[in-house]
Amino acid sequence: MSDYDVIVVGAGPAGLSAASCLAEMGLDVLCLDEQPKVGGQIYRNIQDAPEDRRKMLGEDYGNGAKIAKRFVNSKAAYKDNALVWQVEPIGHVCYSHLGQSKQVKANYVIAATGAMERPMPIPGWTLPGVMGAGAANNLYKEAGLTPEGLVVLAGSGPLLLLEAVLLIKKGVKISAILEITPVLPSPKAFPQAPKALMRTDFLWKGLSMIREIKKAGVPYYKGVSKVKALGLEKLENVSAESATGKKLSIDADLLLLHFGVIPNTHIFRQIGCAMAWNDEQRYWFPEIDLWGRTSCEHIFAVGDGAKVSGAIAARYNGEMAALEVARCSGIISEYERDLFAEPLLKAISHDHWPRPFVDKLYAPRPDQFIFTDDTVICRCENITVKDIQKMVQEGVSDLNEMKCITRAGMGPCQGRMCGPAMAEVIAWQTKTSPDEAGLMNIRPPIKPIPLGEVAKMELASDGAPGKNWLLDKK
Amino acid sequence: MKTADIIIIGGGLSGSAIGLGLMQKGVDRVVLFDEQRPTQRLSRGNFGLTWFMCKGASHPVYAQWSRLACKQWPDFASMLEEETGYNVELEWTGGAVHALGDTEFKAHEASIENLKTVCAEVGLDYPVSMLDREAFSDLIPDITLGEDVSGAMYTPEQGHVNPLKLLGAMRCGFQKKGGTFIGGQSVYAVVPQRDNTVVVKTGAGDFQAKKVVIAAGHGSKRLMISLGEPLNVYPQRGQLMVSQRSRRVLKIPVLAVRQTMDGTFVIGLSTEDTALNNRVTTEAMKSQASNAIRLFPELAKVNWIRAWGAIRVMTPDGAPTYTKVEGYDNIFAVALHSAVSLAPLATNIVAPWVLGEVGHPLMSNFKNGRFNV
Amino acid sequence: MFKFDELTKNDKIEIILDGHAVLLPSGMSIAAALLGEGKIISRISPTSKKPCSPHCLMGVCFECMMEIDGVQRQACMTEVKPGMKINRHLEKENHHE
Repeated sequence: MSDYDVIVVGAGPAGLSAASCLAEMGLDVLCLDEQPKVGGQIYRNIQDAPEDRRKMLGEDYGNGAKIAKRFVNSKAAYKDNALVWQVEPIGHVCYSHLGQSKQVKANYVIAATGAMERPMPIPGWTLPGVMGAGAANNLYKEAGLTPEGLVVLAGSGPLLLLEAVLLIKKGVKISAILEITPVLPSPKAFPQAPKALMRTDFLWKGLSMIREIKKAGVPYYKGVSKVKALGLEKLENVSAESATGKKLSIDADLLLLHFGVIPNTHIFRQIGCAMAWNDEQRYWFPEIDLWGRTSCEHIFAVGDGAKVSGAIAARYNGEMAALEVARCSGIISEYERDLFAEPLLKAISHDHWPRPFVDKLYAPRPDQFIFTDDTVICRCENITVKDIQKMVQEGVSDLNEMKCITRAGMGPCQGRMCGPAMAEVIAWQTKTSPDEAGLMNIRPPIKPIPLGEVAKMELASDGAPGKNWLLDKK
Repeated sequence: MKTADIIIIGGGLSGSAIGLGLMQKGVDRVVLFDEQRPTQRLSRGNFGLTWFMCKGASHPVYAQWSRLACKQWPDFASMLEEETGYNVELEWTGGAVHALGDTEFKAHEASIENLKTVCAEVGLDYPVSMLDREAFSDLIPDITLGEDVSGAMYTPEQGHVNPLKLLGAMRCGFQKKGGTFIGGQSVYAVVPQRDNTVVVKTGAGDFQAKKVVIAAGHGSKRLMISLGEPLNVYPQRGQLMVSQRSRRVLKIPVLAVRQTMDGTFVIGLSTEDTALNNRVTTEAMKSQASNAIRLFPELAKVNWIRAWGAIRVMTPDGAPTYTKVEGYDNIFAVALHSAVSLAPLATNIVAPWVLGEVGHPLMSNFKNGRFNV
Repeated sequence: MFKFDELTKNDKIEIILDGHAVLLPSGMSIAAALLGEGKIISRISPTSKKPCSPHCLMGVCFECMMEIDGVQRQACMTEVKPGMKINRHLEKENHHE
């Protein structure tokens, strides 16, 4: 007997929409999110953000209010501060809530655990004062915090410019924007442009971002390389090389990095879902069908955690998964599922139009991933690029082997921050593709849990007591 | 076709240790194959003990063998550091197995007496004593014992090591001395030739060698089938948990819990006869966490960050297998668990034995055929 | 590094930080509250021994790990609550060798 029909992990746009849809159809659904409030990253603090903040963040943020309201009205069961730390393919979920861990059973699990900023090691990136651009964005949404002092932004992608514009609107003086995207866009982007142009709202947004930056007189460099964060105990200066080879040196108190967004795949890897490699965007993602079903029949992947497509798509993909789960649960027929899916698919398609263009424009290039020897690559264990390169020379080309011998990936973050870059280092040295280095095995717990909680945890009703004998009685 | 003097199939703890030993003996061309994935990779799943205690209760030769290995460990670790620069973090601080309550205390005492007798039969001492609670606590003053802990069996003559660094060190030593390491390639078959050489078919092409050592963990079984001698091993899963780094408070490894030099606690150790599935079970995690906390209550607040299962290569009597494949003078197979403890012997004794040197008298006890009675 | 907008009016609550009573704004994560109050360092890395500061603010980087009511947790995923005992262990003696 299952405790729930469905467990939804994550209360961002995808998770909230999936849970709402399921609850509205009468299924017994539990939504678990590790944070204190719903909204995920993009709609962070949407329920409690004061009016001035909402205005500043604009319509894109405001959309979240409707999604949150629907969720509350749907009466889906919800636990905040609930950290899911293990999921089994058959639908067992272990989570920690208020200092206690519990294992529950569901027929289906929809994982909407979202994405993360692509971790790109640069010299000095571990210094206090160096953060993700998304981090600054989160601090504003959650706490109304604004950077003070000298701010530099570096990296690539529309979110970097979006954050720059937000900071400008708040009156922050940006010392420089250092874009590593080449001065001339990749020719691969051009065939995608016409479709993107048909979304005039998107075009308008993009052009007005550039205009804001120009108007504020912010020094904006493209084709930058060799970005370095310098300082003793904290960030003091950012150095880089311009497209023309000119050395840039900019005093800074805060360096915001952003190199695109990649799915946060740990939950899928811990479950054992089949993973695939997106070569253009250089990230791993769970293999899914049209409805979001992974290679594990009862596990679904939705939102940016399955494929980076933004908040609007996340919402619709969440609903697609909900429809299929409802069909599998016998609540709706195949015909009804397809009927309800039609407008969703149309909306997803329309939302998707500018994506291929943007994706190709900002596609990461292998040469962006050449790091200097002494750059720290595994922050938790303090392993440098040079340490990895040495092991490649000694015949290690597999990420898990690399992890075993260097300890890179064995810290609390379990390879979230170092895995992608390690694969790039191996790929560069062995002249192969990053996916050939494999994927680091993810073990439970997905995030650290106190041993005491595990010792006292409530197992699902059919759990058998464990065996534990002394090794080798022979 | 590429040629070699000796090919080793499997670059785990045993294969790498033997490879190092062969290079130390000056063999010219040794090639070591390690699949890296998607193998069972049990050499990455070790607890890290370099122990003799509790081993061989019904098998005196195994008790002797384990003890011999322990005696060689300190020099082995120094040698590795000198030759490779790797510090395998050997701490020769002894080892303990704790007892909860009176019954277990008495059972441990009986086990010590039994092993003393067994070892005496073969002229060996067994320097293990039973400590009461107070004495045990004095040994590890920086950490508090749980209420139920009644004492522990203890010996000062063993220790623990970093098993992953050990693997790295031996592989590095092998290559530094001129060995060829081929990682990421599978070995498909071992094909003896009429001219007494052996052809090994791999993902990197065919290789011809004068001698072949099969040390591929569970993969060895498959390779031995075509050679006509079934390898007597079965899979036995062990699950372990690892904690976040903490202040160093435990310097003596206890069987259930040890703290490494970098401050992480390693907790084990389950024993399940199971198929080749190295996933972890929630039940085992709960059980192990609970036992660890009964031993050291302050572990309750320490974070668990990782767990894994490793499938031991277990022989029916628990002792290692070092064998010449039936009918061949130049094809060898090794299969064992506790390869960390036994690593020095693989380098110092098994490698010379592969070369045809007069083997250690105990080696004849570890043939694969000993089970076919 | 960061300052609160003028219109941010979260109530302040008392917690114990590194053994001292401190007032932090409520209704936000510990990481945000500490950053807003100018307390930039979250911990000393047990491996590099250098001071660390929150980096991703979304629960991925683990740079904001600190002892919260006896257990190591991510400060960016934990809301400030009255009476919380937070210890960043910034003193040198607490680093293990």
